[in-house]
Amino acid sequence: MKVAIKKGLLDMLPLNLAVLPWGLLCGSLAIQNGFTALEAQLMSILVFAGSAQLVAVELMAKEASLLTLIVTTFIISARHLLYGLAIRNKMIDKPLKWRGPIAFFLTDELFAFSHHHRAYQGRLRLVYALVAGGSFYLAWNVWTFFGIVAGQFLPDLTNLGLDFAIAAIFIALVVPGVSNLPVLCACLVSGLSMLYFKTVQFEFGLVAAALLGMSTGYVLQAKEDKS
Amino acid sequence: MITTIVVLACVTFATRYLFLAKNLPFTIGPKFQQLLSFSAPCVLTAIWVPIVFMPNGEFISQLNNPYLLGAAAAVFLAFKFKNLYLTTFGSLIVFYLFF
Repeated sequence: MKVAIKKGLLDMLPLNLAVLPWGLLCGSLAIQNGFTALEAQLMSILVFAGSAQLVAVELMAKEASLLTLIVTTFIISARHLLYGLAIRNKMIDKPLKWRGPIAFFLTDELFAFSHHHRAYQGRLRLVYALVAGGSFYLAWNVWTFFGIVAGQFLPDLTNLGLDFAIAAIFIALVVPGVSNLPVLCACLVSGLSMLYFKTVQFEFGLVAAALLGMSTGYVLQAKEDKS
Repeated sequence: MITTIVVLACVTFATRYLFLAKNLPFTIGPKFQQLLSFSAPCVLTAIWVPIVFMPNGEFISQLNNPYLLGAAAAVFLAFKFKNLYLTTFGSLIVFYLFF
């Protein structure tokens, strides 16, 4: 048990630190846009979503309609549907006391650690996921709190290159798993199509790029299995 | 305002919980699961690639760009050592040397 807790904390620690600038930004941006401290903190406590949160804060400040807010938040969060699908078979037989919290903590960051074929299998791996996801939640809320109380005194940290840290961590998590041609091609297609979707500003770009990459990997794998 | 926040929280939680709900009765067969097995590397790649190649929303234009060199170092270190901390800190050093 102690090992699972320690590993969960240690694995998530780099990401907990790397998202500091965006947590601060979420807090300070909400205050700048007229949120009370409680409302700003509630965004991170309840909504708990980086980019969706930032966009929602700006939309709410512009007094966008509730429908616009809901649709925009859904579009930015749609990739989580894929995460739920991907871990459904591993999680569906677990009681709600595990499924509920894990679903709540199922961010990009936690999903990044969910790929192991035995992830979520057995109590220790569930504890590991809960600790990793929970520590990220805690860190996100602490950074938000700092942004709320000290946002106006802090410089903008989002252009200090810490976005590179997130890229580096994701590379560190993806590359060791690229063990054959189908996975390699899946990643290449996903990355290249994402660059294209980004240039044309396609809102479902991330989900579309992932689906294109996954299909590529699936087709190549099926071919390999046949021959 | 707080009502709006709660509604948005329901949206984000719904996207995460929907396919983990037991009362959504469907099973994922081996073929679909095979397709989904590519989801983590694909999604993560689709997140890190634009950070590296379009750091300020525009394509990088020079080869000595810190994002590009840092990412190259990260790919090399990750491939060679398969260690999260070593890859992260090693490539961050390369990144800040050129930042």
